[in-house]
Amino acid sequence: MLLPRFEFHEPASIDEACEIMATYGPKAKVLAGGTDLMVNMKKKILAPENIVCLSKLDPMHSIEDKGDQIVIGGRYTVAELTVDALVEKKIGALRSGARALGSPLVRNRATIGGNIGSARPAADLPPSLIAYGATVTLQSSKGKRDVLLGEFFKGPGFTEMRPEEILTTITVPVPSDGEGAGYINLGVRKAQDCNVVNVASFIALDAADGSIKDARIVLGSVGPTPLRASSAEDVLKGEKPDEALFRKAGEAARQDCTPIDDFRGLASYRKAMVGVLTKRTLDIAFAQATA
Amino acid sequence: MKKLIQLTVNDREVEIAVEPNMTLTDLIRYEIGLTGTKKGCETGDCGACTVLLNGLPVNSCLVLAVQANGCTVETIEGLETEDGLHPVQDAFVEHGAIQCGFCSPGMILSAKHLLDKNPNPDESEIRAGIAGNLCRCTGYQKIIDAIKSV
Repeated sequence: MLLPRFEFHEPASIDEACEIMATYGPKAKVLAGGTDLMVNMKKKILAPENIVCLSKLDPMHSIEDKGDQIVIGGRYTVAELTVDALVEKKIGALRSGARALGSPLVRNRATIGGNIGSARPAADLPPSLIAYGATVTLQSSKGKRDVLLGEFFKGPGFTEMRPEEILTTITVPVPSDGEGAGYINLGVRKAQDCNVVNVASFIALDAADGSIKDARIVLGSVGPTPLRASSAEDVLKGEKPDEALFRKAGEAARQDCTPIDDFRGLASYRKAMVGVLTKRTLDIAFAQATA
Repeated sequence: MKKLIQLTVNDREVEIAVEPNMTLTDLIRYEIGLTGTKKGCETGDCGACTVLLNGLPVNSCLVLAVQANGCTVETIEGLETEDGLHPVQDAFVEHGAIQCGFCSPGMILSAKHLLDKNPNPDESEIRAGIAGNLCRCTGYQKIIDAIKSV
């Protein structure tokens, strides 16, 4: 397959990258791992006139422990997320998502910034990140701004980002005692396929009486963006956690999504699986919260 | 406009001018002449194009040649030495893990990397380790047996 022609830019700093993006705006696309952009270019879905390669931007290839937050650079690869001790210990649901993504070959190139920026509804990293309450930092020649990841996605391939912006870091709040999260994805295969349904759940327990004081349940692959299962969250809030409650939340979650029929499964199947995965991820979150 | 890049391919220094829209696969196959690396799906799903880039197995079809500037690339041709086949290659031959051979270069490179990291993987770890490499002929079992035997 042939790639379209383009001007190739390789900025040496984030500021230089932002200058280039400011110059070319919608006529430029950033390139990190290429596991999404290169495929789209080969399939003639995209043909950006300018490619801004981020390979020299070392500060974006980073992870930092800030105590109550973990700050991950946009270029940190998905493979690195799967083996990072900090991620495993503190934000394990993200690790589950990373392990589920693609294949070992894809993971060695794919980046966390790319999996967020490409805004595929079935993407593996956004649900847990949204459940954790993560924010993304968007930088341009005009400055920086932070956006809550839960408000970042607008539609398949569409985000809050302006054409000249670069997603530089992802800031993930670390769950404290009495809080936990889990992620499960369901696919036709164990690797290399598009998710049928994926769910991340986060719960926070009240220290005094162990009831659920906060819950965030994020559904992927069942709508144009990752969706919050607010009916399920309402079922949980204020209640004492148990099997029956989690099952009830799972049933409620089914009405919070708008899946489609496709060759991987019917909408009715996906809704049923939303119920099952909601319950199972709540189990994981609860086990962590009470550990 | 072409860009001049320098990279190391199988321990040999290479300096070459390439168009920005050339993939690493095409650089390896057409410019350097190493055709062991194959083109299958060309979209990162089959793994036939697997090479080790700075020691990590990647789909070379998704890497621009210009992105390999300053990098180390190891292809299947780089595994054999004057002492003979690499142990992984030998195991594949001995165990009947090669039928048409099209997936084999990529499969062997992924297997080599897996074993370098984890010398004694169990079956599920092997299957996960080669999940990016598709084989249409063998049904994978002999590939797994070969990897286990190393």
